[in-house]
Amino acid sequence: MKRAVFIAAVLILFGIVCRFFPLFHVVALKRAETEKNAGVFNAAKFADDFWSEKLLKSFDHAVDAKELLAAIQANPADAQKKYARSLSLGGGYFYYLRGEGRVLATNDSSLSLAINTGGTNTEVALQTGMIFGNAVRDGTGLLNASDYPNLQDFNSISAELNKLVEARVLPELRAHARIGSTISFIGCAEVDDESTDLNPLQVVPIQAQIE
Amino acid sequence: MNANAKEWLKRLQPLIALVVMVVALSLLSDRFLTLVNGRNILLQISVNLCVSIGMTLVILTGGIDLSVGAILAFAGAFAADLLKNGIALPSMNVAIQFTPLGAIVAGILAGLVLGSINGIAITQFRLPPFVATLGMLSIARGLTLLWTGGFPVTELGPSFGFIGTGFWLGVPMAVWISAALVGIFYIVSQHTTLGRYIYAVGGSEKAAAFSGINVNWVKLRVYALAGVLAGVGGLIVTARLDAADPKAGLGYELDSIAAVVIGGTSLNGGRGSIFGTVLGCLIIGVLNNGLFLLNVSPFWQQVVKGFVILVAVAVDRMGTRKE
Repeated sequence: MKRAVFIAAVLILFGIVCRFFPLFHVVALKRAETEKNAGVFNAAKFADDFWSEKLLKSFDHAVDAKELLAAIQANPADAQKKYARSLSLGGGYFYYLRGEGRVLATNDSSLSLAINTGGTNTEVALQTGMIFGNAVRDGTGLLNASDYPNLQDFNSISAELNKLVEARVLPELRAHARIGSTISFIGCAEVDDESTDLNPLQVVPIQAQIE
Repeated sequence: MNANAKEWLKRLQPLIALVVMVVALSLLSDRFLTLVNGRNILLQISVNLCVSIGMTLVILTGGIDLSVGAILAFAGAFAADLLKNGIALPSMNVAIQFTPLGAIVAGILAGLVLGSINGIAITQFRLPPFVATLGMLSIARGLTLLWTGGFPVTELGPSFGFIGTGFWLGVPMAVWISAALVGIFYIVSQHTTLGRYIYAVGGSEKAAAFSGINVNWVKLRVYALAGVLAGVGGLIVTARLDAADPKAGLGYELDSIAAVVIGGTSLNGGRGSIFGTVLGCLIIGVLNNGLFLLNVSPFWQQVVKGFVILVAVAVDRMGTRKE
């Protein structure tokens, strides 16, 4: 009897607390989704806007591939100082380049392009497989990590931009690039260290045209 | 020295060890004996204290619970996700949005459920506690990863964060919570029927059963309470970080077992106290803090901690053998 009274008292007390401090609210699903999305960073929309409003208008900033490759061949460290961007988040750095080359070979993940760098050809790999890394986000210098208090948001931009490359640029290359065809491209390259700069340079295309 | 004095000396061993450590560290570092550092130590041990209270009850019955760290992680992640995302019920076109209090209750209930499953596995399926709770360790870790998708659940808000980062009367809320739990479970262990049964079961399960105690009933409650207390620890960790990390609580089971053993609770069960566990947590906390202040490498800190545990168990064994 004493025990039952105790349990009942606890339950009544809990009920009173819950009356003034409810444990949950039941709301319409649509309202809940609206509230959940309010203030949440939408990386997909951001990447889409960034692509059309900033990235496509920044091609003038890309360095000529011939100039860049020649500079890297001459002195990778000087080329890095002059042309590369670094976010200081890791040891790697990025190049933003434009150029034209002839397709030497194709495989599932890349096209091998020969770029004439004045007398000799230098090979560049244009990526056509799954896109990983932060080349597109960080290569242009248009986005700064310090503008994003949440690093997860900043990382999600990279993932969304890579998805856009896969959806908007790569299908055309995969379908129509053949050995011997000429491709003009604008893209970004992520380099881990100087020794692998031209090994070959791995370029993620932002725009590519087969001629 | 008469037997009574010897018994008292034995009980006071952890306290003497703590006092010696405090005095030694005060002499070695002028930053040790300050109010701010004292508050830091209390804050740092608060989670281990919550978990260790449950572990004390389990060990007093002669059992062991290896799943407390994993339950801690699941309870934190469960509460955080409910608070952040709620539960959508598309078939009814509604969603349940949890308040911070609701999330806290849900986290504690998650601990209760997982702890009870431990108890059921041990009492109904006769699994050794080591095996049952080892299985639960893996289950709870897996559930945590499934529930969170392997990613931390972040930005839980200041209301929820208050239990981990808030202050009341200049003392961190986490310390108040752990102190309240110490008070409650001191009373439970020393002044209630359940407490007496726990000691009886740990002293001799057969004798307890013969004297009419429902041993399974006691064990089930003890493991359920250990789950609840791990859940509270998980809520504090999550609130302190403002994020539920699926990998939270790794190794906490060992820290709590260490605190319980250093505090004088016998691994054979039937002997020990909540007060001893508080001292055990303080000893570990003071040791970690002191070694850190003395710039001792974290690798050496692990070695020293292990050594202290060995000494504590050895002293306990020697005492038991003499008896």
